Amino acid sequence: MEALKQLRNSLLQPLIATAIGLAAGAVFISIVGASITETYQQMWNGAFGSFYFFMSTLARSTPILLIALGLAMAFRAGVFNMGAEGQMVLGALSAALVALYMPGAGVIKLLAALITGIVVGGLWSLLAGVLEAKFKIQLLISTLLFNYIAVLFTSYLVSDPFQDKSGSAALAQTAMLEKSVWLPKLFPGMTLHAGFVIAIVAAVGLFLLFRFTSFGYEVKMLGSNPFFALYGGVSQKRVMLISMFVSGGFAGLAGTVEVLGAQYRFVDGALTMPGYAWTGLMAALLANSNPIGVIFASIFLAALQTGAMGVERNTEVPLELASVIQAVLILFISARFTYAWWKKRKQGRESHA
Amino acid sequence: MSVRLEMKNMTKRYGQFLANEGVSIAVGAGEVHAIVGENGAGKTTLMRMLYGMEEPTSGEILLDGKPVSFRGPDDAIRHGVGMVHQHFMLFPDFTVAENIVIGYEPKRGGFFDRAKAMADATALAERYRIPVSPTAVLGECSIGEQQRVEILKVLYQGAEIIILDEPTAVLTPMEVSELLATIRTLAEAGKSILLITHKLQEVMEVADRITVLRGGKVTGAVAAKDTSAEELARLMVGRDLEQLSERTEQRGEPLLVVHQVTMQEKKKKPVLDQVSFAVHHGEIVGIAGVSGNGQSELLQAISGLAAVQSGTIRLKDTDVTNRTVALIRETGLAHIPEDRYFWGAAKEETVAENALMGYHRLPAFSRGIIIQRKWFHHLVAAWIERFAIKTSSAHEKAGNLSGGNLQKLIVAREMGRETPLLLAAEPTRGVDIGAMETIHQALLEKRNKGDGILLVSSELSEILALSDRILVMFEGRIVGELSRAEATEEKISMLMAGGRGDGSTQATA
Ligand SMILES: Nc1ncnc2c1ncn2[C@@H]1O[C@H](COP(=O)(O)OP(=O)(O)OP(=O)(O)O)[C@@H](O)[C@H]1O
Ligand SMILES: [Mg+2]
Repeated sequence: MEALKQLRNSLLQPLIATAIGLAAGAVFISIVGASITETYQQMWNGAFGSFYFFMSTLARSTPILLIALGLAMAFRAGVFNMGAEGQMVLGALSAALVALYMPGAGVIKLLAALITGIVVGGLWSLLAGVLEAKFKIQLLISTLLFNYIAVLFTSYLVSDPFQDKSGSAALAQTAMLEKSVWLPKLFPGMTLHAGFVIAIVAAVGLFLLFRFTSFGYEVKMLGSNPFFALYGGVSQKRVMLISMFVSGGFAGLAGTVEVLGAQYRFVDGALTMPGYAWTGLMAALLANSNPIGVIFASIFLAALQTGAMGVERNTEVPLELASVIQAVLILFISARFTYAWWKKRKQGRESHA
Repeated sequence: MSVRLEMKNMTKRYGQFLANEGVSIAVGAGEVHAIVGENGAGKTTLMRMLYGMEEPTSGEILLDGKPVSFRGPDDAIRHGVGMVHQHFMLFPDFTVAENIVIGYEPKRGGFFDRAKAMADATALAERYRIPVSPTAVLGECSIGEQQRVEILKVLYQGAEIIILDEPTAVLTPMEVSELLATIRTLAEAGKSILLITHKLQEVMEVADRITVLRGGKVTGAVAAKDTSAEELARLMVGRDLEQLSERTEQRGEPLLVVHQVTMQEKKKKPVLDQVSFAVHHGEIVGIAGVSGNGQSELLQAISGLAAVQSGTIRLKDTDVTNRTVALIRETGLAHIPEDRYFWGAAKEETVAENALMGYHRLPAFSRGIIIQRKWFHHLVAAWIERFAIKTSSAHEKAGNLSGGNLQKLIVAREMGRETPLLLAAEPTRGVDIGAMETIHQALLEKRNKGDGILLVSSELSEILALSDRILVMFEGRIVGELSRAEATEEKISMLMAGGRGDGSTQATA
């Protein structure tokens, strides 16, 4: 009973947000002068209309989901990790390099690449955490700035030292990975790869971690009342550092499975252009950092994008439809957060006086 | 005396639970009406309905004979009903006068008229003989003064009916008697006062009539002159109170040794100034003092929540100065914090999750990194039983517990750790007389078992009843030590005010 009620309450707000988003999309469609029902029909078809499209949507949701899981971890602990993008590209490139240049059997290389992606993403994120712990450099700012460093650095690496020089056109990308290190596709002829399974397992794992472990308990209490947690002996620093490593690791993994399962090489801009990091952020916020909720939020946001592509293919309505809906979602979510923050502040003042 | 307020058949239901059931009270103009009852009896709930903070499930509120229903506190204030909150809703950066007029500021030419605000506040304070300094910044005022500001604010908003929910819980004895005098003044000026308190002497001193609540129902309504504190206690608890058990003489080895501890922000006056004392096994050391004289900081230093700049703190022969909370707790400390909502609980989490804090890493309740909540639940059930914590279940949100019941949960949690040292700050704040007895008994048993307790309380009677030795703090220093035999309320009060205890007054440079 209690659990059902909780589930209902946590679902209510995202559903309202979604409804408002779709309503705003409807306004956009009618301004463009198209039929609302037909456009949304096309959108649905583009995202879920056939098994192929559905699998493409899930494929697109994979990196979003992994990033969102990492951020869910961070937000629950009250840690503002805004550096998912940088952590993702660094992890992805390191994994690609391991897969390319490490000697050994395919499976070993695959595993090593996955682990490298996680560890590099995690360490890059942890560095920002250490800076905060040691020198009080605000995470919000350092992680944002670290994105530039990581993106530009990887961009440099693949435009010169590790660039694929074999082709005639000198694109900024690494050489192609050999087939033995590819993550297998789940169905022949479809884009969906094993990375999606990894992500789902990770989501369940994170859910269990929050729910049943002492670390999960500490994270929850820190998020609920940090002073209470402190009083009870929870080390905020320790939880912050672990959360930074884990969330960075998830981002690194997100980039890694894209490389190993979809692109088979590291291509400059291929991870940053689609805005996975920011969509992941939205998914985490939309699902209120609930790992299971994050699964649905990620698929939903991915479906908006693949659906909008379908709309663009088949109607006059431009791709920006997805952006409009997302923008309204962001507005709604930030309004909710501002309100919650404001309420908390007010409460804090009351009990402080 | 004309009836000004009537609440008829008020019922408030939370899910299956009836917090108020057919409660009726009538309050006249110029009457002080006390509402007493056990923790969770429904006193606060009744007042929240009157103040428009909760919607009654059923029932009727009549003001001067006319039925009213309030959409919210603002609406209640417009109808002349004001509430003084236990957690003050004031702005620490504003002056006293600004806080009094806030929301209803006097204006001139569309702008805030500071001079008139000052004049209004001063006039109001004089009229009701409530001493405040209008120009002072609120954040620098004592708790008692902040409360007076809160009362003046309610008066400024034109309240005729004033609700005070446990206003004396946070006050020093001196401030309590001042507040009671103020309440009488207000009643003489024709205001109706609704007063909730667990201290029956206060009720006998100031109330005209008394309503006793129990389990959400009215179990008695009497005139103060026709009853006594003992009878009220019996009405509330349903039994006579027991004497505290015997104390055995058994002071043991030093357990906590605080040596020349100083806590000081750069270039400021030290909040702790060369504090030295010890707590031994098998003794309760009480710390008395007007709040804000370093007691909170001392407890924070000992428990690892705040750093000290010099001196040492040793617990069980381990140097724990500036170590982490986790390490100090592991070494052997439990801590009942003074502010239950700020430090002591997470209001949004369940009772069970709140109970788990400090236990969540103990091997007894986990297997590897997995917490075994099932094992733990037996313990929580035992606490709920022992301290009579009123909650619908262990899965109730902690914030839904009545104030006193949350306090009992925190006391149970910290005592349950069975650590050699217990810091107990205001352990009985907000609990009813029955629970106070249970808690005092539990503390004494812990002492008799050979554990040490450092007790901080603004309640002198509590300090005197429990302590083997009493230290008095003033301006960050320990200014006196009294044995149980020599301690009297007068001697302590003298030291608390900065005197030396021998009658002379200490220069406070
Ligand atoms: N929002 C709520 N949801 C569920 N139960 C509630 C809620 N608010 C109060 N209660 C329950 O109603 C009962 C009465 O609470 P109330 O706060 O009125 O008690 P009280 O008489 O003021 O007690 P205390 O002396 O401890 O302050 C309690 O058992 C409490 O758990
Ligand atoms: Mg109450």
